Amino acid sequence: MPNRTAVHPELYSPDLADNPSLNGGKCRACGYVFFPPQRYGCESCGAPPEKLEAVQLAGRGTLHSYATVHLYMGKDIEAPFTIGLIVLDDGPAISSTLTNRTDEGLAIGDRMKSVLVAASTDQEGNETVELRFAKAGAGK
Amino acid sequence: MKKNLRDMRPVYVVGIGLHRYQRLSETPYVTLGLTAVRQALADAALEWRSVESAYTGTVLIGMAASRPMLRYLGATGIPMAQVENASASGSTAFRQACIDVASGLTDVSLAVGVDKPGPFAMAPGKARMRDLAGSRLVPFTHFALLAQEYMTRYGVSAQQIGMVAVKNNRNGANNPYAQRQKARTLEEVMAGPAISGSLTRLQCCPIGEGAAAVIVASDDAIAQLGIDRNRAVRVIASVTKTEQIYRGAKNFDAELTRETVEQAYREAGIGPGDLDLMELHDAFTIEELLYVEAMGLCAPGKAAGAIAAGEFDIGGRCAVSASGGLLAMGHPIGPTGAGQIAEITRQLRGEAGVRQQPNAKTGLAHMVGVGAVCVAHILRKGA
Ligand SMILES: [Zn+2]
Repeated sequence: MPNRTAVHPELYSPDLADNPSLNGGKCRACGYVFFPPQRYGCESCGAPPEKLEAVQLAGRGTLHSYATVHLYMGKDIEAPFTIGLIVLDDGPAISSTLTNRTDEGLAIGDRMKSVLVAASTDQEGNETVELRFAKAGAGK
Repeated sequence: MKKNLRDMRPVYVVGIGLHRYQRLSETPYVTLGLTAVRQALADAALEWRSVESAYTGTVLIGMAASRPMLRYLGATGIPMAQVENASASGSTAFRQACIDVASGLTDVSLAVGVDKPGPFAMAPGKARMRDLAGSRLVPFTHFALLAQEYMTRYGVSAQQIGMVAVKNNRNGANNPYAQRQKARTLEEVMAGPAISGSLTRLQCCPIGEGAAAVIVASDDAIAQLGIDRNRAVRVIASVTKTEQIYRGAKNFDAELTRETVEQAYREAGIGPGDLDLMELHDAFTIEELLYVEAMGLCAPGKAAGAIAAGEFDIGGRCAVSASGGLLAMGHPIGPTGAGQIAEITRQLRGEAGVRQQPNAKTGLAHMVGVGAVCVAHILRKGA
């Protein structure tokens, strides 16, 4: 059976293709919720790493802004692609690649959800997946 | 008790010098820097041996840049240090020189910025923090996101934002030190190539090489060294702050600028209505709109209208980036913040020629650096 691996396994789990949760963090001292996860200390109140706990953040939020990138030097994706700034329902604002290649059909205020998309597949059918955000269907 | 700059000895800019900002060339950084420093010394009518400390703002040219450059002015044994604060390196070097003079540690200090484009390593990437967008989210896309949000919120068009580049290129066309010295029409600005979101190439600043130098001095030095007091420009506020936690998608670039410049106004005892000109961090067109609003020059969402009405032109109520700004004068990184001080000083002296803002008495310099740091200085005509 082919494997499925995540580009950023520390940020999300590759197990669930539709609407995976994100690996976030929360400060037990002040309640600050953050993403990406880290073990350095609380950015908000300065509490030490022992006060930080892992929390799962729902992969749902609202589109705050978007931009289609036309110029890109990296090799991991081909331009154009679109980056969204999403305010998660759990609080943090995050930037993510969107499933839309261009900004057509996007509007600020759109409801968004996380999905895993295949970034590459090797000869044995092993898949590398990455988390992107897509417009959530109406009513979801 | 805590003091701000104004509670200490008065500090004056007495000399300015520049090497033109330009595309990468064979010119050694030493030549770039010495050109600016020698010009600043000549401008102040000072000998190098009168300078008692030196700060070199630089990001890209490597470790220990100061002495291999400044030794050719004559080895005088003074303290020297390199200052790195991303795009705000030159601004921070200037602040350090001001602090030396204000505190009485020196009577005459130098801030010089010098850089050449080259390979660089970003420390934040070494913090071993990964995020979803990673290298796909570079500064121009960060600002494209802010532009899209701004357009949607206030009903402003991409062309209205592009007008910032038209204005600043028009100013840069009259600046012999600018990297881009060509006036551009809105059609040229919007024509592309497209970079990210609504931002086109001419809405992004060029990164080149260059140098800028500023000499600051005390009252004592002005008297003892025979410096022309009529051309001295006083530094009435120096503030630097770093980003705090802003919840949700709050625009942290604008918030940091608001906090920093508010404190600078307080320390200087002025308000936004007192500014005759400012040089701000316009690495991307949208920044000018965001920052003039954050600095209180107009209400939120009104900056595009104010630009269209000529309020921020030379001759308008507050000339914004009369030098051409980062968009046209260019952004060699290390020198940029020091170059802003040079432009404001030239303007407050009434020596800016065709770029002169009439009756300029008070000016502000504003830079933002990765990290995120913000530095603001307020200068006033007359000693
Ligand atoms: Zn905390």
